[in-house]
Amino acid sequence: MFKPRPKQAEVLKFRRGYMGVAAVPGSGKTATLSYLAARLLAETELSRGQEILIVTLVNAAVANFARQINSYVKDDGFLPGYGYRVRTLHSLAHDIVRQKPTAAGLDDNFTIVDDRESGELLASAIDAWIRRNPEAPDSYLGSEYARKGFYRTQKWSEILLETARSFIGQAKDELLTPAALRRLLERRADELPLAAICAEIYADYDRALAYRGAVDFQDLIRLALTILQNEPDYLAQLRRKWVYILEDEAQDSSRLQESILRLLSGDGGNWLRVGDPNQAIFETFTTADPKYLRDFIADPAVDGRELPNSGRSTHSIQKLANQLIAWSLRHPQPALRARTPLTVPYILPTPPGDPQPNPPDMPEAVQLLGENYSATKEAMLVSASCQRWLSQNPDGTAAILVARNGRGSEIVKFLRQSGVPYVENLNSTSTTRAVVGALARVLGYLADPKSAGKLAEVYRVWRRDEREDAEAAAEIKRVADGLRRIKNVEDLVAPRLSDWLEETLSADDQAELRAQLARFREQVGSWLRAAEMPIDQLTLSVGGDIFRAVSDIATAHMVALHLARLAEAHPLMRLPDFAAELFEIAENKRRFSGLGDDESQFDPDAHRGKVTVTTLHKAKGLEWDRVYLVSVNNYDFPSADPDDSFIGEKWYIRDDLNLSAEALAQLEALREGQDYREGGASLKARIDYAAERLRLLYVGITRARKALTITWNTGRGDAAEATPLLALRTFWEGEREKGAVHEAQR
Amino acid sequence: MLVPNSSFSAEQAAGVFAAADEKVWLEGPAGSGKTSVGVARVLRLLEFGVPAESILIFLPQRSLAQPYLEALRAPSGYHGGQVAIHTLGSLSLRMVETFWFLIAEEAGFKHPQDLPTFLSLEMAQYMMSRVIEPLLDQRDYFHSVRIERARLYSQIVDNMNKAALVGFPISEIGARLKSALAAGPEQAHIFDDAQACAQAFREHCLARNLLDFSLYVEVFKQQIMGLPQARAYLRSRCRHLIVDNVEEDNPASHRFLAHLLETCQSALIICDRDAGFRRFLGADPQNARRLRRFCDVSLELKDSVVMGAEMQALSNALAAQLGAAAEAQQADPRLAIISEAHRYHPQMVDWVADQVSRLIAEEGVAPEQIALLAPFLSDALRFGLAEALDKRGIAARSHRPSRALRDEPAARALLALARIAHPHWRLAPPGMDIAFALMTAIDGLDLVRAALLTEMLYRGGKLHPFADIQSAAMQDRITFELGQRYDALYTWIQRYIDAKQTLALDIFFRRLFGEVLSRVGFGFHRDVDAGNISMNLVDSARGFRWSLEFMSRYDEPVDLGLEYVKMVDRGLIANFYLRDWLADSDGAALIAPAYTFLLSNRAVDYQFWLNIGSDGWSRRLYQPLTHPHVLSLQWPAGAVWTDDDERELDRRTLRSLLLALTRRCRRAVYLGYSELSESGYEGRGLLLETLQAALRRLPREEAHV
Repeated sequence: MFKPRPKQAEVLKFRRGYMGVAAVPGSGKTATLSYLAARLLAETELSRGQEILIVTLVNAAVANFARQINSYVKDDGFLPGYGYRVRTLHSLAHDIVRQKPTAAGLDDNFTIVDDRESGELLASAIDAWIRRNPEAPDSYLGSEYARKGFYRTQKWSEILLETARSFIGQAKDELLTPAALRRLLERRADELPLAAICAEIYADYDRALAYRGAVDFQDLIRLALTILQNEPDYLAQLRRKWVYILEDEAQDSSRLQESILRLLSGDGGNWLRVGDPNQAIFETFTTADPKYLRDFIADPAVDGRELPNSGRSTHSIQKLANQLIAWSLRHPQPALRARTPLTVPYILPTPPGDPQPNPPDMPEAVQLLGENYSATKEAMLVSASCQRWLSQNPDGTAAILVARNGRGSEIVKFLRQSGVPYVENLNSTSTTRAVVGALARVLGYLADPKSAGKLAEVYRVWRRDEREDAEAAAEIKRVADGLRRIKNVEDLVAPRLSDWLEETLSADDQAELRAQLARFREQVGSWLRAAEMPIDQLTLSVGGDIFRAVSDIATAHMVALHLARLAEAHPLMRLPDFAAELFEIAENKRRFSGLGDDESQFDPDAHRGKVTVTTLHKAKGLEWDRVYLVSVNNYDFPSADPDDSFIGEKWYIRDDLNLSAEALAQLEALREGQDYREGGASLKARIDYAAERLRLLYVGITRARKALTITWNTGRGDAAEATPLLALRTFWEGEREKGAVHEAQR
Repeated sequence: MLVPNSSFSAEQAAGVFAAADEKVWLEGPAGSGKTSVGVARVLRLLEFGVPAESILIFLPQRSLAQPYLEALRAPSGYHGGQVAIHTLGSLSLRMVETFWFLIAEEAGFKHPQDLPTFLSLEMAQYMMSRVIEPLLDQRDYFHSVRIERARLYSQIVDNMNKAALVGFPISEIGARLKSALAAGPEQAHIFDDAQACAQAFREHCLARNLLDFSLYVEVFKQQIMGLPQARAYLRSRCRHLIVDNVEEDNPASHRFLAHLLETCQSALIICDRDAGFRRFLGADPQNARRLRRFCDVSLELKDSVVMGAEMQALSNALAAQLGAAAEAQQADPRLAIISEAHRYHPQMVDWVADQVSRLIAEEGVAPEQIALLAPFLSDALRFGLAEALDKRGIAARSHRPSRALRDEPAARALLALARIAHPHWRLAPPGMDIAFALMTAIDGLDLVRAALLTEMLYRGGKLHPFADIQSAAMQDRITFELGQRYDALYTWIQRYIDAKQTLALDIFFRRLFGEVLSRVGFGFHRDVDAGNISMNLVDSARGFRWSLEFMSRYDEPVDLGLEYVKMVDRGLIANFYLRDWLADSDGAALIAPAYTFLLSNRAVDYQFWLNIGSDGWSRRLYQPLTHPHVLSLQWPAGAVWTDDDERELDRRTLRSLLLALTRRCRRAVYLGYSELSESGYEGRGLLLETLQAALRRLPREEAHV
């Protein structure tokens, strides 16, 4: 049973009005919120149809919440989930729009395009724009690149995609339609060239969506807000329905999310927001901003609380994290300091007698290395260190945290080469990718059924459940190698005049293998006959034949629906194209979220004795005994210093302009009727980015329970140690010296 | 004797054996034996010596004719003349066709001397696309709506049909929708656009003698019914009237029936008390009841002959949650419910299949006594269920009435071969399509050899003869036998190309089917389904041609074959076709959308309600350009459709659906529930809420009252 700490008990007293809670990493905010929901369910007499609405950030957390609440609620036998609903912002918006689609100009069968589809629509809108405006790159490419074809075509198209995507996202956040933008632009006396370009692309993109009866994820949220604003009856009904709104991860709330929840709770409503403003790390990708939560907590009408106690890390690690907050409050860069990237509360250890006491302190287990390693050397050293540590701590958990997926893949290579056991938690989890990969191989074969090599792959897929057994694995390899050498595939899978099985395998010596391959033949034969079914049915059928785990089958179901949507949008797509699509997902080139990932929020404790390679973004909410924080250089963690480079500023664009930032600034100028000065936004973007990266570093540090190692590398040769790392290292060396003196004196 | 006397209750018998000049109103809940009365009444009339030609059976939809057709065709049945069975649509079409030259000019057709062309629903949508598509771009119509083009057209068609069935001029569509629904100028604009499109389409039809459903119903009401000759004809053919499911019919039908009731000799009007499921198609149960005053006798059947006590208790408990008066419970409703919660959708599908299998194997339930029902039946769900049942050795039949013809291998093969045979279309199919077409077309050809043939013999959009394979080893791989079959197909196509006489596409399909594919050694020879699908394709292509051939008198001619194939690709044509409904349901469990099951008018021992979290159980279909309630007779002019109306409608819809389902279930309902729906969303519809409220907190001690 949940035993609350004194500060948690204060939050659990929430019954009415608005409350805002600033929590530190490891303070048990999700557990507190789930327990509060259970208490409210038990104590409040909800009338029929009323619910507690819990809003969180990612799908994985949804299932987690439901599990926790169900564990607290005494079930009375019928179906679970009564009286509350857990939603992400997207699924909440989906609920709202789905109830009233026509108010948003949609019909019941509206579809939601995923990132991939939306990216393709946007790319084709951009292609069309580029063809109409071949001279446009002249205005933005640096002089040494303006004449080079590669930059005028490929790079220009890439940067436009990035710029238009940010612009359209923001415009949707501001509820600005293409028509509204056009009107604003017509009224404007001066020129806002990037806004004009992006508005035109936005109009094309929007038309393509409308033609398909589709919306993108951002539309969904925008439309939900619009419906709530325009339909007072419906809003009143939802207010009656959701008597309590509990919001987790509120630091990542966007303006739209806040507006939606504010409307839903209403003036007399009950709304509790919990978050850690220091862990807001989604600003760059979205329109989220921690200032919304900070402002909310600071509002006098809101009951502001803190959850400062955390039993996650050792005292030393907490001290280091707190030092990062303290240093940032005195940041040497005034502009960055003014942005307050990190704020109090500082992390406090748990009080005596707490069920989750902090691990015993080990100052020597915190290592901040100042050496300027190359990227390769850094990966080798970290890999070797991991190997050592895992051999000494076979039951321990360890993670290597990276800022970018690409760096993660490089590190994985070294781990693999050195035989260090690892798991990946990068773009999509390896389970989803394995499921998609298996389907891709079968579809790939059906698209090219005469290929012996592809048939051999199908055989491996067919026996995928036996791979863990070393003996079986060896046999699978041997048989697959044999199949790869078959000259005429049809003699095995569809024999007519000659039968490969009969001719190659003797009935006496190899009876078992023969029987097994006869079953394989039967299976492949049925797939070959089914190959012309609509792609979703084929996928379901193959999935049902090869997967046993429910989450795998459910993921196959999602894949089937994904492919069916693709088929509907692209009537000319055929089996080879569908297989290619799945290979892209399997190879991590394309994002796809399977249901398996949903269910099992990555659990570090399930991977003891292995090192997890994960991005910092995906590490949020997780913790390991030992954490390696790598590549902490001024490329991944810039501080807006003159030498720092910024991902948003492309070398081929003139005057270090960050085109996305400039386009957004033009949008703002357009909307507000303000003046626009080129370059200002690019400088401001540096500050914003540097602030978010500081929080990312803070997230990284606070993932460690007992041991933490931070290193940096020189990147392509010109990167330097990140300024905050230098500051922390100096601090920590001082602490260690003080500790040594203290020890000597003692 | 056609009608046995002993099998009816007193009330039923009063309906069956009413005098030959009596007009009877018969009302009752589902499962009370009303249709049995209707069927017996027809036979009784014939037994009386009433001429078959003077009897009209009038129904809201064709599929409801099944019990009547079966009785009339039964070996022990009647063998005289033909009893007419009509819906409003079929009767209107027949009458307009018969009296065309007398009314065409008055009805406003620009070429009254020419024959009319009647448009099927898909042809109406196609024509709509031709009329409206240019307007969409030129005038920026519907710019604030996000909706697929095909749906846009179908909603405009729907509005026009509603106007005809309810009885208001099409010029009022926009104003009606606007006054009830438009929340702002953006939305008002949409309805103006819908209005303009409807009018443009109507003008287009009048100028070309095209009659879509709305127009021929309109002409039937306005012009035909005004013709003395037509009225006399109807009087002679409709002296004895049997109307079933009158609550599912529309005001135009009701007005027509009221007219007939004044002149006919006898009538039996059958009404289901709590139904009215086809509201989205114009059903108006309230209006139907007005016909009662034309009848001499009113009968009411009260008892359900279907439900057991627990099922009755469940039916009451659910209805009470949805606003019906609570009745004292005689049994524990929970005993009629079996449920299990799952996380994922496929888990639910597996659980359902296990339970079906258990019922059949352990409890000896006949498969046809099991109905698996969902609010919507996606292809994936239908397929997944059928597969899961198949793995357990259980046959299933699916009453999902329509699917895209282009998803059928036989149709795809014919279309791919047609493209090759018409090189001037410049629509050469991709290799994969050819491999599949060859596999489907040639008996015994597997996909591996089909792929080999395609790789070697399909180049530049053309097939080449088998002899073009130089290597004997490669020829052996294909085998001589299959090579010969390939050559026969190749030769037929090549001769067709060489003859340079392009046939109409439906004739091309018919010849290819008849001269090659249906022969021994070819894919459709033993495959009855493929034969049916080919004929469906032929019908569809022929309908398309007939509709457009007439048009060449008025418009620029187009290559009809090419146009047809392009429209199929776009999903505008041959998008749906009706499969033959299996009248014989022995030995197979039924998988169907809930409403389809209801309209099949039969009861089962066990029902499985799938996806109970879905809001599709209670919600009307939301369409931005149309609204079945605002465009109904009952909607007060000028009233605004509010959120309360919507919720009240949801509750009413669900109540009547649940009453109708439970009344068609004898033993128990299995609830299929997964937290995450097929698409990964968590559904919290009104059905789930109602079930939770009705059953969750019911104390155990109240179980047996």
